Amino acid sequence: MRGKPSLRSKLSIVLATAKMRLSLVSRYKGQLFIEILIPIIFAALPIMLGRATGGDAAAANFELNTGTPDYAAYMLIGSVTFMIVSFAFWLVGYWIRFEQETGTLEAIYLTPTSRFWNAAGISLYSAARSLTSGILAYFIGALIFGINPFKGALLLALAFILVGLIPLFGMTLLFGALVMKVREANSLVNMMQWGVSLLMGVFFPIIVFPPLMRALALAFPPTWMVNGVRSSLLGVGYFFGEWYLDFAVLWGFMLIAPLLGYQVFRRVERGIKRNEGVGQY
Amino acid sequence: MEPEIRIEELSKTYYPKQRKGLFKSETTEVEALKSVSLQIHEGEIFGLLGPNGAGKTTLIKCLTTLLLPSSGDAWIHGRHIVEQENEVRAAVGCMLMGERGLYWKLTARENLEFFGALYHLSSSDRKLRSDEIIELLHMEEIADRTVETYSSGQKMMLAFGKSLINDAPVLILDEPTNTLDVPAARELRGLVRELNEEGKTIVYTTHIMSEAETLCDRVAIIDHGEVIDLGTVPDLKSSLHRDHVTHIEGVIPEAARAAVGSLPEVTKVAIAVANGTTKLTVVSSDGRVVLPRLIEALTENGALVQQIEPEHVTLEDVFVAKTGRTLSEDTRVV
Amino acid sequence: MGTRSTPMKRLDGLSALFSSLVAMSRKEFIIMRRYPVEFVASFGQVFAVVAVFTLAALMFSSSPGEFAEGTGGGVVIYGFALFIFLSDTLWTIGYNIRREQKQGTLEALYLSPASKFASLVSRVTNSLIWTSLLVVAGVWLMSTMLGRLPFANPALGVFILVFALAGIFGVGFGFAAITLRIKEAGQTLANALQFILLILSAYFFPFGALPDGLLAISRFIPLSYAVDAFRSTLMGYPPGFPELAPIEIEIVITVLFGLLMPIIGYLLYRHSEAHVRKTGSLSEY
Repeated sequence: MRGKPSLRSKLSIVLATAKMRLSLVSRYKGQLFIEILIPIIFAALPIMLGRATGGDAAAANFELNTGTPDYAAYMLIGSVTFMIVSFAFWLVGYWIRFEQETGTLEAIYLTPTSRFWNAAGISLYSAARSLTSGILAYFIGALIFGINPFKGALLLALAFILVGLIPLFGMTLLFGALVMKVREANSLVNMMQWGVSLLMGVFFPIIVFPPLMRALALAFPPTWMVNGVRSSLLGVGYFFGEWYLDFAVLWGFMLIAPLLGYQVFRRVERGIKRNEGVGQY
Repeated sequence: MEPEIRIEELSKTYYPKQRKGLFKSETTEVEALKSVSLQIHEGEIFGLLGPNGAGKTTLIKCLTTLLLPSSGDAWIHGRHIVEQENEVRAAVGCMLMGERGLYWKLTARENLEFFGALYHLSSSDRKLRSDEIIELLHMEEIADRTVETYSSGQKMMLAFGKSLINDAPVLILDEPTNTLDVPAARELRGLVRELNEEGKTIVYTTHIMSEAETLCDRVAIIDHGEVIDLGTVPDLKSSLHRDHVTHIEGVIPEAARAAVGSLPEVTKVAIAVANGTTKLTVVSSDGRVVLPRLIEALTENGALVQQIEPEHVTLEDVFVAKTGRTLSEDTRVV
Repeated sequence: MGTRSTPMKRLDGLSALFSSLVAMSRKEFIIMRRYPVEFVASFGQVFAVVAVFTLAALMFSSSPGEFAEGTGGGVVIYGFALFIFLSDTLWTIGYNIRREQKQGTLEALYLSPASKFASLVSRVTNSLIWTSLLVVAGVWLMSTMLGRLPFANPALGVFILVFALAGIFGVGFGFAAITLRIKEAGQTLANALQFILLILSAYFFPFGALPDGLLAISRFIPLSYAVDAFRSTLMGYPPGFPELAPIEIEIVITVLFGLLMPIIGYLLYRHSEAHVRKTGSLSEY
């Protein structure tokens, strides 16, 4: 029946989009396996370097610098959180370019669905994929590095990730707007994800940054995400001292970032439609 | 005289895997070419007709050394396609992939010079040759823009130009007017004719009947990996032995009508009169032979002929008759 | 019009090979220049990677000076240099073949009589230049962050580097061979290979940090000896370095790796090439 679509039909679009992308990716079993391995390998690099170069004083030095002697867990948490963030950039930020490359973008734009619901579907897909890989990587990594995966406040850590995902997706839409304009999107995303890993302090606390860089890092939702998870599980210390204060900041991001990201995305999209058309690649 | 292209019992079999479940697959056998034998003479424009999946592309890829045949032999310009593959490549200019096969981040000039280098042209010759081709294709204005900015038609023209870079004696063109607009397609066909007049042997595949009819000296119809029929276009058409129909309009007295009906080749004459004009529909066994006799019979018996309209057998008709399908049907099995 | 009145000069033998190599290298360079964002982004990426791992390593030391004076800085930066070459090689030589396959230009290359060896080697040329610049940038950044880095035996270091790179390029040729056959799965394999070698060839940490089981596997990988020899030489052989074998043996292994791997890689490539020509998948995308 034609007319204004109901909320139910819009939500079903979200689910349909997520389901379609999940079934696509399920055909690349090798890729899914690698996704679980990657954060473990990334964490292993500084762990092994630290063990070798720090020697007996490794744990003690690490505690002095970060607030916890449990460097293996610290690196693993950072690595897994970075993977979730990285997924958001590639799957959500790169979404439009992906559709351009596969030639399906124009087909999507011909439908009466608002791009918001498409983006929401992609975000749901990204969340499902990254959380599944992330949780599996965390537990397998814990087994490999001899970490107790149930130590600390697990549910609180998960809450920090779930709440952090929403502003993260909003941020990646901002980035997606840039990707639409730039032809060499791959390189841009590659650079961004490493820049993000630096800014969020994937393997170190952001206290090591100069003041300006520290301020920039704090304006960045993933920084609060990773610190929240580390503090919940390892007790390294929340930015504002208490978990609910850091949580509130993430909630603030959650309210602002998606709307801002989507507005900018739409503006850029309209500009493109006016000029070269969205199918141009 | 040795033919320019000689194909003897060329066969190609593929072994695609078909999925039977999550982890199981079955290997099947597909004969894409079945003992194809052909000879193409120097200076001919030779057409290859067939629906998708007929084996045209497989045949062309074998001839251009992109694909190794399963059995059989072929020689181009006296060189064997497997044993002397580099010499074969040097003797052939190809347009196979359309707008694919171009570097989109290079300009037309850069693409042409690059491919010229791959054909071992010296640096100065590459530049000269690229300039010549750009001028020939009227691409001067866009020659120094990257290919990614071109329209589909412009890319196709550049792909055609690329096939000319090494000035090879043999040209193999696979649907070269695909995506070209009518004027550009006409221009390209004109260029093909000119190249042929200069002595080049051209193998031309197309779906467009009118192209094959007007351009090709001989045509081979391929279906399911076999050559179904081969000959000049008139020979192929006349092989149909279909009744030919000619419509004649004018002032045609009774005597003229009787004279027409008495011609031995004429099997039927239908008459319609309207507004003082008589329309004769003449059915004969061979329209080419009977037409001058029809005109003679009519004019000698006082008819005033205003219009003659023969109904032609088309190549599409021949194709349908030989294969039982139209050219638009897809018979791909690989 | 189409046919020229004066016949064109055609090169043959070595001059034809050289001309093809130059033309293909030039083509790669022109295309590279037309991706300015990629060029800038690759430097940005290198800076970010070096900064991340340097800061991570510093968390295990009481001061940057301590880290730099120890073997940490040298291990990371010289291992990083070789890793960048490996990563770039897998992608620009190995996976680049896939991009050409999708574009249709791989088939176009095969329609010409140009040498396929020249096609592979030309991709190496630009990789060498670009990656060298990235390495220099990475070394500069790390020196800035740590204050100083060990640097000894430059001539021998370059000698080892040349053979290590030749071997890495041979790995790239072999990877191109695999990519021709497995197509899109080549991307997954490239990722997997990079990460496996990251650990087993211990680019970012000493081999001593590896568990015994993994260390045993490392000893079977020639690249591990190249990494160990290269950074031990440039660090001036501090106590415990080289880790896997005496330096003379490691240099011999590296030289053999550099001589044999390109030949093996090229032969694998030709074998794969024959296979895809039999199956008709040269242009499959």
